[in-house]
Amino acid sequence: MTTYNGKSRRAFLSLCLKGGASVAALTSLQLQALGSTLSSESLTDYKALVCIFLHGGSDSLNMLVPTSGQHRTNYEQSRQNLVVNDAINLTTKTQFEGGVGLHPSMASLTPLFDSGQLAFVGGVGTLIAPTSLVDYQNKAVNLPGHLFSHNDQQATWMHGQEKVSLNTGWGARMLERLNQHSAFTSNISLAGSNPWQSGIQTSPYALSRSGVMKINPLSGYQPQVDHVKSIIDRLLQTPSNSPIQNAYASRLGRSISNVQNMNNLLEQAPILTTQFSDNDLSQQLAAVAKSLSISNQTSSQRQIFFVSLGGFDTHDEQLTRQPALLSTLATALAEFQSALNELDLQNSVTTFTMSDFGRTLTSNGDGTDHGWAGNQLLMGGAVNGGDVHGAMLDQLVGGPLDVGGGRLIPQFSNEQYFAPIAKWFGLSNAEIYELFPNSMNFDAFTLPLFNS
Amino acid sequence: MKILAILVALTFTLSACGGGGGDTNNNNVTNDSNNSGSPSTPTDSNNDNQTPDAGDNEGDNSDTGAQDDIGAAPIVDVKAPGNIVRKGTTIVIDSVVTGGNEQLTYLWEQISGPTATILNNQSASLTVTLPETSSPNQDDFVFALTVTNSDGLSTYTETTIESINAMTQLQAAALLHQGTLGPTYAEIQAVIGKSEEEWIDAQLESQTTYHMPFLENYPNKEQPSHINRIDAWWKASLNAPDQLRQRVAFALSEIFVVSDANSALRGEPEGMTNYYDMLLKNAFGNFRTLLESVTLSPVMGVYLSHLGNEKADLAKNIRPDENYAREVMQLFTIGLDELNLDGTVKLDDNGNTIPTYSQLEIGGFARVFTGWTFAYSARWNRPSKNYTLPMQPFEDYHSSLEKHLLNGEVIPADTGAEESMKLALDNLFMHPNVAPFISKQLIQRLVKSNPTPAYVERVATIFNDNGQGERGDLAAVVKAILLDDEARKYSLVLEHTGKIKEPILTKLHFWRTLNASSQVNRYYTWNLSTTYGQGPLLSPSVFNFFRPDHRPSELLDSNLVAPELQIATDSNMISTTNNHYSDLVWRMAERKNTLNPNTIYMYGEAYISLLEESGLQALLDHYDVVYFAGSMSDETRSALTDLDSYFANRTPADRISQLLYMISLSPEFNYQD
Repeated sequence: MTTYNGKSRRAFLSLCLKGGASVAALTSLQLQALGSTLSSESLTDYKALVCIFLHGGSDSLNMLVPTSGQHRTNYEQSRQNLVVNDAINLTTKTQFEGGVGLHPSMASLTPLFDSGQLAFVGGVGTLIAPTSLVDYQNKAVNLPGHLFSHNDQQATWMHGQEKVSLNTGWGARMLERLNQHSAFTSNISLAGSNPWQSGIQTSPYALSRSGVMKINPLSGYQPQVDHVKSIIDRLLQTPSNSPIQNAYASRLGRSISNVQNMNNLLEQAPILTTQFSDNDLSQQLAAVAKSLSISNQTSSQRQIFFVSLGGFDTHDEQLTRQPALLSTLATALAEFQSALNELDLQNSVTTFTMSDFGRTLTSNGDGTDHGWAGNQLLMGGAVNGGDVHGAMLDQLVGGPLDVGGGRLIPQFSNEQYFAPIAKWFGLSNAEIYELFPNSMNFDAFTLPLFNS
Repeated sequence: MKILAILVALTFTLSACGGGGGDTNNNNVTNDSNNSGSPSTPTDSNNDNQTPDAGDNEGDNSDTGAQDDIGAAPIVDVKAPGNIVRKGTTIVIDSVVTGGNEQLTYLWEQISGPTATILNNQSASLTVTLPETSSPNQDDFVFALTVTNSDGLSTYTETTIESINAMTQLQAAALLHQGTLGPTYAEIQAVIGKSEEEWIDAQLESQTTYHMPFLENYPNKEQPSHINRIDAWWKASLNAPDQLRQRVAFALSEIFVVSDANSALRGEPEGMTNYYDMLLKNAFGNFRTLLESVTLSPVMGVYLSHLGNEKADLAKNIRPDENYAREVMQLFTIGLDELNLDGTVKLDDNGNTIPTYSQLEIGGFARVFTGWTFAYSARWNRPSKNYTLPMQPFEDYHSSLEKHLLNGEVIPADTGAEESMKLALDNLFMHPNVAPFISKQLIQRLVKSNPTPAYVERVATIFNDNGQGERGDLAAVVKAILLDDEARKYSLVLEHTGKIKEPILTKLHFWRTLNASSQVNRYYTWNLSTTYGQGPLLSPSVFNFFRPDHRPSELLDSNLVAPELQIATDSNMISTTNNHYSDLVWRMAERKNTLNPNTIYMYGEAYISLLEESGLQALLDHYDVVYFAGSMSDETRSALTDLDSYFANRTPADRISQLLYMISLSPEFNYQD
C-alpha cells in the first residue's frame, strides 16, 4: 500500500488548477489518486504486457475474412480487387457464420492459434457508448473525437479514455495504479515516446534495439570518466528559469543513469537459442525478449513494453504491401512466443496489438482509406486462445454497420478489449472502471480473453 | 522599407522687440523651414504661451533678411550627419550661421526621444551619444539649437534625427540563432552594427542556393543514391550564404512532410532533392503558390497517394483515395479545429471545439485530387515516372461529380481537373485558420515553442495582409516573426521564451563552425534517424518527427509544449551525445597524426589559436557568442573551466574538443533562448 507523496499531489493539483481543467473534469481515478490510498496489494507474481502498435491503421478486416456463405459473397462484392483468396480456415471454439479465414501470409501463426496461445478480438474499435447506424446518423451518441484521423485515433487507443483534458496512457495508468511506476525498467519502449506509456509519474525508457548502449565519454580511464561525469552532473543541475530547459536537463540526466543501469543488467542476459529475423519488428521484439530475460534482476513485478510496426496506411499498393506487413507481424510474433517459451515466461507475458483504426471496405483503386472497426491479436500462455472473441463483422458496403464508404461501426469498444487485459494484469474491476471511464457504458468484462 | 537618416530642420527666427531686452514674452516668430518634411506644428520649448503670430510688423524684415538698425537674427543652417545613424553611436550635428555678428552664443537641447547624452551643448556643433538599441524599432530624436547674437536676437532651429538599430554582438548572435542553420563566428561579426531589418532584407534578397547542383552520382554508379541526397543537403546547408532561406525551407520540410525514410521514394533522390528545392524556391514566396507546388509535386503525389488517384467506379466499389484530401487539410493548411486569429481554439456555446471539416469535405477534396499523374505520361497507365516536374491531369480519370469544399462551397459537376484543383486550393487558402495555423508553426520552428496568442495574432495578421493587400506573403511572415518584440526581447521579459534546439541542427551548427569536411568531399551520414531521431526529409510519417502540441511528461503541470522533446528519448539522447562526442573529440583533425580521406573531420584551428594566444576565458567568451548567443551562465562557465583543469596538460586540440563536447550536451546550449 502506498500513497502519492505530497509533492506530486501538489503538482497534480496545480496541474488541474492551472491547466484550464476544472476539478469536475477529473476522473474519479484521478480524484482518488489525489487523496486516498491506492489499493494495490503487494504483488506476489510477475507479469508483463507487450503492446505491438500497427501504425497507419491496419486493414485487419482483411486479416480475418469470411470463407463461405453469404458473408463471403458480401465480402467479395465489397472488396472487389482487394479480396483475399486462399485464406487459411481456422477452427475456432466459437462458430461464426461464414467461417474464419486467416490471411495466408500469416500461416506461421496457425500453430500458436491451434495450441491455444493465440486469439483474435473481432469487430473492435473506439467508442464512447454503444452506437448504432441511426445513432451515428442522428448524432444521438457521443463519438470519439476526430474519427479516421491517424494521430488522434492512435492517441485514443493509447489513452484508453476519451474526452479527458489532461490525458495519460492506459499502460502508464496501470503501472501507477499498481505502484509499479518507480523503476524505469517497468516501462520500456522500443519505438520512442508514445501516449500509451506516458503518465503522470512515468514515461517510457527508450531502449535501443541493440540493448547495451555505450556512453562514449563515460568509458575508459576511470579518473577521467569520474571527472567528466561530475562536470556533466553540474551542467545538468545548472539552475534555469526555463521549465523547458529544465525538462531537457532532467531528461538527459535520466537517460544517462537509465542507460548505465540497463547496461549493467543486460550484461547478465543469457544468450537465447531462438533466432529472430532481420525485420524491424522482430529486432524490437528480440530486444524485449532480452529485457525480459533479466526481469528477475529488476525490482519490477509488472512491466509494459511498446513496440511498433509502421506502413499499415495502405492507401495504395495494398495487394503487395499488406501481405508483406502481415507476414512480418506473424513471423515476429511466432519468434517472440518461442523466445518466451524458452525463457519459461510464456504464461507471464501477454502480447497484444492495437492500431489507429480499421480501413474502408471499399477500394480507392489499389488501396483502402481510413476506417473504424477492426480486428486485433492477443497472444500468450494465459490467453484464452484458439478463438475469435467478439464479432466477425459482415463486410457489407451499405450494410447496417456502414457509416459510409465501408467504414464499419465497432461492435465492441476498445475499452472492452482493454478491460480483461487490465484485469489479468492485476487490477480490480472497480479500478478498471476508473481506468477506462467509458467502459461503464458497456459490459466491460464480456470478452473472455484469458483463461480463467 | 529602408530606413535612412532623415534630417528635418525647422528653424524659427526669434527676434526680440525693443532693443534686445531678452524679453521672450513678445517674441515674434517666423517659420523658415529649409528642409521640411514634417507638417506638424513645432513646439517651442522656450515659451509655453507663445502663439504663432503672423507678425506682419516685422516678419517682412526677417523674410527678406533685410538689414536695419536694430539688426537681424542669425540665419542658421543645421547639418545633421548624412549617413545612416545608428543607435549607440556618437554623432555630430553642425550648424553654420550666416549674416550675424561674431559674438554668438549657442544652446543645444534635446526636445524629444529617448534620453541621449549631450557632450557639448554650447558650441556651434552638437556632439551627442545616442542610446543603445533597446527595441526593434527606430528611435526618433528632436534636438533644438538656439543661436543668439550680441543684440539678443535668437534663432531657434529643430532637427530630427532617426537612428536605427546597430545590433551588438549578442543581439546579432541571437538573431542568427533563430534565422540560420547555426551561425558561424564570422557570420555574427558581419552583422554587428547592422539592424535586424537590414540583415533580414539582405537575406530575403540573396540568391537562392539550390541543392540539386550538389546532388552527385554515387561513386562508380550512373546515378545518385539516397545517401547522395543527404550529402547534397549537407553541402548546401553548410555553406549556403542564404541561411535564412535554408532555415525556413527546413522548417517547411517539417510541415509539408515528405519522407524517404521508409517508402519507395528512397529510390528517387532527384525527386526528393527537387522537392526540397521547391520549398527553398517558395520559402519567401506566396503560400498559395507553395501549396500548389506541394500539391502537384509528384513526390508528394506518391507519398500521400494522390498520384494515380482515380475517380469513383461504383461497380467495383472503388472511390477516390482520401489520403491527400485529409492531410492537406489536417496538416498543411487548417488543422482539425477552428482557430481564432491568435491560434487559440474556438469553442462553441457548449465549450466544445468546432471541427473544421467532416467526411463530406474529405470526400469532396478526394474527388478534386483525382486524375493526376506524372507529367508527360503517354497514357494514364503508362506513367512517365518523372519525379521532378509537376503532375499533370488526365481528364478521363478525374471525377466529374460535384465536389464539396469548406464553408459550403461546391465545385459544380463537370469541372475539369486543373480548375477543380485551383478552386479547392483557393478554398483552403482563404480559410481563416491558415494564417494562425501556419504562422504559429513557423514561430515554433524558428523562435519559441510557446508563443503568446498576441504574438501569433500579430504574425497571422501579416499573413492575411502584408500591408499591401497580399495574403500569404511568406517573406513578410518570416520578417514579422523575427522582428517581433517577443522574438527580439528588447522590452518584454517573458517567462517562457525559447525552444529546444533540434538535434540535427545542433550537429549542423557544430559542423558549420568547425568546417567539417572530408578529403574526398563527401558527407555520407548514414543512420541520421536512428541517431538523432530526425534528418532532412526523413520523418517516420507525414506527422513529422514531433507534433507542434507535444507536451512532455516533465511539463505536465504547466501549459507549455516542447515539440522537440518528443524525440528526446533515452536512446536518441544518448546516441546524439555519443555522436557529438565522436564528431568533436574523436574526429577533431588537429588531434590526428594522419587523416583518413573518407572520414569527415572537424577543424578546430581557430579555437586552438585563440586558446593558445588568449587563454581559456577568452575561448569561453567566444564559445558563449557562437553557441549560446550570450546565455552561458556563470555556473556553466565555471563547470567548463573546471572541466578544462583536468585536461590542462593535454594538447590544445584535446582541450577545445572536450569543451565543445561538454557544450554539446549542456542544457544552456540545447535551449535556444
